Amino acid sequence: MSFLMAAEEGANPLIPNIWEIAITAIGFLILLFIVTKYVVPAFEKIYQDRKEAIEGGLAKAEKAQAEAAAAREEYGQQLESARLEAQKIREEARAEGDSIIAEAKERASVEAARITENAQKTIAAERASAQASLRTEVGTLATALAGKIVGESLADDQRSSRVVDRFLADLDAQQQAGATR
Amino acid sequence: MEGSLTAIGYGLSAIGGGIGVGLIFAAYMTSVARQPESQKTLQPMLFLGFALVEALAILGLVLAFIM
Amino acid sequence: MISNGLVVAAGEQQGYQAPTIDDMHLPAIFEIGSFAFGKQMLLVMLSVVIVAGFFMYAARKRAMVPSRTQFIGEMGYGMARNSLGKEIIGAHAYKPFVPLLFTAFFFILVNNLYGSIPLIQLPTMSYVGSAYALAIIAYVTWVGVGIKRKGLGTFFKDMTMPSGVPPVIYVILIPIEFMSNMLIRPATHALRLFATMFGGHLAIMVAASLTQYLIMEAGGFAALASVGSGVLGIFLFFLELMIQCIQAYVFTLLLAVYLQGSVSEGH
Repeated sequence: MSFLMAAEEGANPLIPNIWEIAITAIGFLILLFIVTKYVVPAFEKIYQDRKEAIEGGLAKAEKAQAEAAAAREEYGQQLESARLEAQKIREEARAEGDSIIAEAKERASVEAARITENAQKTIAAERASAQASLRTEVGTLATALAGKIVGESLADDQRSSRVVDRFLADLDAQQQAGATR
Repeated sequence: MEGSLTAIGYGLSAIGGGIGVGLIFAAYMTSVARQPESQKTLQPMLFLGFALVEALAILGLVLAFIM
Repeated sequence: MISNGLVVAAGEQQGYQAPTIDDMHLPAIFEIGSFAFGKQMLLVMLSVVIVAGFFMYAARKRAMVPSRTQFIGEMGYGMARNSLGKEIIGAHAYKPFVPLLFTAFFFILVNNLYGSIPLIQLPTMSYVGSAYALAIIAYVTWVGVGIKRKGLGTFFKDMTMPSGVPPVIYVILIPIEFMSNMLIRPATHALRLFATMFGGHLAIMVAASLTQYLIMEAGGFAALASVGSGVLGIFLFFLELMIQCIQAYVFTLLLAVYLQGSVSEGH
């Protein structure tokens, strides 16, 4: 058992000194305490902060992207609505134009009809007046002519008008015969 | 020539441990080279086996001292 | 004198004398009864201050865009949190263990790197007591977590009865599994750390003292050979530097793997 002798004699290196164990254990436990209490939380906090910073950055970028997408969507929608509106306006304009044209056409045709009618009326009236005046004039003329030719006074109004009427009737008949022929 | 047989005994015990540890690490490297994703599974096994094999050499050292 | 391989009997021997554990384990600064306060204990306390101080300094600003110090702190924290915690224990259960893994990794790393810092040059873990202490804390934690999460019965069933084995084999398997999981696991957990630190440091010391011996005492032709041992020493120094980091990682990784076994549902 010589290895249990004092250290100067060359102790067996496998036999521990109880104080070595104690000191090392105490030192280790103190260090473990310090590490648990201060070092690990500090480093974990650094990790956490960095992770949060990175995740925050990512979230921000994501938000910006989402915003951009939303803006683009909105822009697209606006463009679409503008296009629709333009189309609507064009449609409306076309419809309006059509209606204006139709109205104008109608008005023109109405006007034309009116003008035609007026003209016809005027013509008819003129014709009637011309007929009337012609009748009297032709009668007078014919009477005068006949009086001159016949030499017979046709001053007697009753007779002369009878003659004229007969003549005109003949004329009418003749005309009608001409028209049928 | 002075000395002790225990040192020779320790030397002999270290041969086995040395070969064993070498084989273990060689096998580990081969398998990790072949299948790198198996490293995580193999690593604890590697060190358990390595510790167990090396225990023989360390026991030899202990015996060399307590002779 | 003990006759083991690492402690060569001192005495009136002539010629080269390899350094022993006594050269490594310096005498205590002061002693109170059995309590001997040495350089190693001072270094353990210093490491607590270094790790706590650095990370609290690095995290003091909590800047969104990290400064150089904060970036290094975050990288260290991220490694312990993600590659040790999240990937091994599993994303759903790793949160409560992050402080433990973080502390274990950086405490061990600083204590190991003491071995490569000039003038300090004493990896604390080459004192087996320190390694035991860490392994005990780790053991208590993962066994405690396992019993709490699964209940005593299920936890021991998971630990000692691997599934998919014919029942007859359990007769042999249960003692073996119990031994390997409950007894050898914590022991090797501590001793792996201790042995690599101790052995590596001793190897550097041997190379260094051999170089010194060859130059100072042997002289002549043998002094030329000191170049060889000097180069060997430098090579060992860098190897040791690497091992110091790797062992800190391995210790924490194994802790994470054990915790994962305690947390995960039966397999």
